[in-house]
Amino acid sequence: MEVSFSKEIEALRLGAGDTFHGEGILAITKGLLQSGVAYVGGYQGAPVSHLLDVMVQAKPYMDELGVHVEACSNEASAAAMLGASIHYPLRGAVTWKSIVGTNVAADALSNLSSPGVKGGVLIVVGEDYGEGASVIQERTHAYALKSGMCLLDPRPDLGVMVNMVEHGFRLSEHSNMPCMMELRIRTCHVRGSFECKNNLAPLVSTRALMEEPAGFDYMRLAHPPVTFRHEKLKGDERLPAARRYIAENRLNELIPGTHADLGIVVQGGLYNSLVRSLQQLGLADAFGATDIPLLVLNVAYPLVPEQVADFCVGKRAVLVVEEGQPEYIEQEIATLLRRRDIQTPLHGCDMLPAAGEYGVEVLATGMAQFAQRYLPQHAQHSAQGWLVGNRERRAAVATQLEAPLPARPPSFCIGCPERPVFAALKLAQQDSGPVHIAADIGCHAFGTFEPFSMGHSILGYGMSLASRAGVSPMMQRRALSIMGDGGFWHNGLLTGVQSALFNGDDAVLLIFKNGYTSATGTQDIISTPDDEMKEHAVDKQQSLVDKNQTIESTLKGLGVQWLRTVHTYRVDKMRKTLNDAFTSDFNGLKVIIAEGECQLERQRRIKPWIASLLKKGERVVRVKYGVDEDVCNGDHACIRLSGCPTLTIKDNPDPLKVDPVAVVIDGCVGCGLCGENAHAATLCPSFYRAEVVQNPRWHERLLHSVRGAVVRALQPA
Amino acid sequence: MNRTQPITLLVCALGGEGGGVLTEWLVDTARHAGYAAQSTSIPGVAQRTGATTYYIEVFPVPLAELGGRRPVFSLSPVPGALDAIVSSELLETTRQIGNGMSAPQRTLVITSSGRTLTTAERMQPGDGRADAQRLLDVVKAFSREHHVFDMGTVARDAGTVVSAVMLGAIAGSGLFPFPREAYEQVVRGGDTSAPEKLSKMAAASLRGFAKAFDTVGTPRAQAALVTRLLSSQGDEAPVQPTLSAEMARAFPPPTHDMLALGHARLVDYQDETYAALYLERLQQALAAERASDPAGAHGFAVTREMARWLALWMAFDDIVRVAELKSRASRAQRVRNEVKAADDDIVRVYDHFKPGAPEFAALLPASLAHRVTAWDRRRKTPFALPLKVGSHSVAGMASLRVLASLRWLRKRGSRFAEEQALIERWLAAVVQGTRADWRLGHELALCGRLIKGYGSTNERGKRNLLHVIDHLAVAPLPDGSPAARAAAIAAAREAALADEAGTALDATLMRHGAPPRPVIAQPIRWMKRPPAATP
Repeated sequence: MEVSFSKEIEALRLGAGDTFHGEGILAITKGLLQSGVAYVGGYQGAPVSHLLDVMVQAKPYMDELGVHVEACSNEASAAAMLGASIHYPLRGAVTWKSIVGTNVAADALSNLSSPGVKGGVLIVVGEDYGEGASVIQERTHAYALKSGMCLLDPRPDLGVMVNMVEHGFRLSEHSNMPCMMELRIRTCHVRGSFECKNNLAPLVSTRALMEEPAGFDYMRLAHPPVTFRHEKLKGDERLPAARRYIAENRLNELIPGTHADLGIVVQGGLYNSLVRSLQQLGLADAFGATDIPLLVLNVAYPLVPEQVADFCVGKRAVLVVEEGQPEYIEQEIATLLRRRDIQTPLHGCDMLPAAGEYGVEVLATGMAQFAQRYLPQHAQHSAQGWLVGNRERRAAVATQLEAPLPARPPSFCIGCPERPVFAALKLAQQDSGPVHIAADIGCHAFGTFEPFSMGHSILGYGMSLASRAGVSPMMQRRALSIMGDGGFWHNGLLTGVQSALFNGDDAVLLIFKNGYTSATGTQDIISTPDDEMKEHAVDKQQSLVDKNQTIESTLKGLGVQWLRTVHTYRVDKMRKTLNDAFTSDFNGLKVIIAEGECQLERQRRIKPWIASLLKKGERVVRVKYGVDEDVCNGDHACIRLSGCPTLTIKDNPDPLKVDPVAVVIDGCVGCGLCGENAHAATLCPSFYRAEVVQNPRWHERLLHSVRGAVVRALQPA
Repeated sequence: MNRTQPITLLVCALGGEGGGVLTEWLVDTARHAGYAAQSTSIPGVAQRTGATTYYIEVFPVPLAELGGRRPVFSLSPVPGALDAIVSSELLETTRQIGNGMSAPQRTLVITSSGRTLTTAERMQPGDGRADAQRLLDVVKAFSREHHVFDMGTVARDAGTVVSAVMLGAIAGSGLFPFPREAYEQVVRGGDTSAPEKLSKMAAASLRGFAKAFDTVGTPRAQAALVTRLLSSQGDEAPVQPTLSAEMARAFPPPTHDMLALGHARLVDYQDETYAALYLERLQQALAAERASDPAGAHGFAVTREMARWLALWMAFDDIVRVAELKSRASRAQRVRNEVKAADDDIVRVYDHFKPGAPEFAALLPASLAHRVTAWDRRRKTPFALPLKVGSHSVAGMASLRVLASLRWLRKRGSRFAEEQALIERWLAAVVQGTRADWRLGHELALCGRLIKGYGSTNERGKRNLLHVIDHLAVAPLPDGSPAARAAAIAAAREAALADEAGTALDATLMRHGAPPRPVIAQPIRWMKRPPAATP
């Protein structure tokens, strides 16, 4: 990737006496180094991408410390990497986006949890739940429960988060349980500060190698019969050990309140929202001094039964604030209260919504109920006024607007190489009829939004080809599977291609070869054009993905016979190729490689290059497309075939006409799609391509002046 | 219990506008000024042009006076509990207000007047843009105080990005207890060197910052700026062509502006005689309107609309017209401005054409034209010539001029005849309708809007218009009253502009008891997998 994290890397070097200022996820990264982590792995994905990106770029410093960093091919390989901590005193950390990443990693996690770990293991997952989430809404909590892993859910305060990282490793070592740490989106991106400690170079590291492998120990294998013993150990030894550590080190926080006969049990991650909702109700102050006592669970699993029981016993009521369903914590508390015959009334999902993100307004609404019932003397006028006011205001705005506002989903970047393919696909379906489209995870999923609105299913990252295996045999026309190169390497190659070839499926696969896992922040993959290539490229504006043929050779090696590579911006050629694939007599797997480098990466390379050329006064050609406002017919067919942010509309300058005309605004990178579409779809002839030559050479100037004179002579006013 | 509350700010921006930098600036400013602060964000796929928000809280009491206590900040904005919303895009501002974020008693709203249109707004065949005035009304109605100015323009003028402008607006509003210097210090990146020594970027940021600071800080400056922007909106207004005395006499004043434009358009498009035909046709419409509305109670709206749509249809687009428009000197200059070419830059312009058989047939007499189109229909794929004509080159310009000079041929061409026939049909319908009922005539006149563009778009428009005329204006309907027909036609016109497939139009037609449009044949490459063979 072309993004630089030099500033962040400097922050990683801070030591005792320094204060760290920055984002949560970077603080966690610093915490890993302060804990003497020996190896780090993972797979990118919001909101935890930065952890790995920064570490990968910080390689020189990691080598200094002897820390190994691995950018794994998927979450499964990241989880499997943790196997190193089964035998050896190595502290390991991996990271990925949950719930999706945890699903992919599940197998290895089970087989890691069964024998348990010797070196501390921390799995940092981005709990992508609620507002702004880009994946299905499920809880990581379930995995902690089923596999027997600790689940840390630290209060979103940088100091606490880093502290929990350090405890996480020790907790893991005391209990032999792997520890997960769930971080919500806003927690990862919260800006704050904490007092640093020195980073610890691991005792065993890439600089201090082990001489001998561990001796054979069947107990360390996740293999019968010892797995039965492991299952017992989980309950008999590991959980009790974990609970002891949690209690002794006070990982969960008890915050006293004036109404000692009430209580709230809250996940650490929700602490700030809860306190703010209490403030709104006049039950807490700006510094978190609260009227109702709180038990803040920085460790969401396992609970410490004694701690919870002591907190609940003798209270008039306890409310459990737990985000997402099912309400595992509430259920466990209910059970343990019942077992101890503690009669304290328990509330949770009866007062708070079972699903969705717990924002301040949602929490305050539930808290108001709780207060109403158990603190009737507490005045709620202002709080109720606020809540009712919100509801009324929303209704008022809706009525004033009459129609709902148009949504603004993310879309392909300006000049994105994937947009033209969807234009071609739209045209191809006009030729050979509509097809079933198995979509996938990645930037190309934006093709499901307007103006394309294409795709029948999304079954997971790299799953598109596999997900049509049951569809295509049942349909007269062929089904199309769309996959990015990210998804291809993540698992599409095996779950899709290998399976389709083995079964001799009649399938069409289109692979977007843009050279990076772009949707997660343009991380490099095995088919990324290497840096030397970029260095030596004479014209750095060109797409360079064609220089790396790993995908092609892999497919050929696997036995793919029908393979076409098309440059994505050649809309007409792509349209023809798609039609061929849909109608060809060849009944095996047909693969189209749509080649075009990620425009984000290209621009990050091009901008400084152009700037340097101009600085040196050298010749530069800048391309921009445009629309002739007096020729444009105001039908906007071009936009329905593109959706590029820089192809928009403006008032019609012609006083006779009323419909707005298309216009190409600043920011156009001259990708060429407008012209290609104009030809492929026979749009109106209003598009032009303008090449601006800066610092032209002398003979160009000469030619231009002569030519200009003649042209001007021909031109009418 | 301490009741002091943090100062809360919600920032709305689009991907790639530097919202992340802005929040970093704000948090650093607070730190340097000695205040506790926190920011969060949902960047997600922000860089992919989606809408995104950032949230900042600052505790109004200096850290030094808190005696070691640390405020607990909220991670997410609390609806109705915001002190300010600052936004770089008007629709997004309104969206957040619609989410209940802004409280009229409490919230200051600073928003850009600029719009970045959503895809849904841009892709409509007609005009799908949200009404900016309505959006502004919401801002006004649901804010304690509001500042509206075009942040994009300020940023461009200063040669910086919108984040610097937003920072200036926040500083200028006095929302936070920080001095102006504190902000500027952070923007400089701690670089204390004199302005001229600053890095280009920092200097530009400071310019944008200062502009916005004054705009929001001093209302008078803001008013001035807004008016300047408004005046600069309607840039070079087209010169109003003048009307000859007898034309002025022949038509009522309310129609004059359109009439003058229409007449001038046709002289420019073809010649005086063609323009005369225009006047003659318009006279028929006027006569009809005078008959049904002698007093001119409707301000001769039928004639006025006909003056518009008749001119546009009569000046139908063809390769001759396009060549003419693209080969003008004024156009070459417009392109230079649009691509922001410096004086000593060389600009090469390539025009994308793809004329097909119909385009050429259009200029041939009917008999020949039929043969050409017949030949074209026999082909597997219709003939079309994808061209990139370099209108900056001698050859390119020459060919454009040759094409443009074929005006004389146009009148003899088959398409010209067809268009005139269709125009007459429409005109007749309008005249008839107007005589029957003014509103009916008016709605039919407005249907001229359906005719636009070239090739398929143009064909579609004509098919739709004729179908509407035949089945809603003429053919018997369940409710054949003129009023009902007028209503039906109005509905059909709106529907026709809703989607290019015409789904909405067909639905509307059927709702009013008219048949849907006939399906037109289109060649499809058929591929049918046989079902598994039975053993």
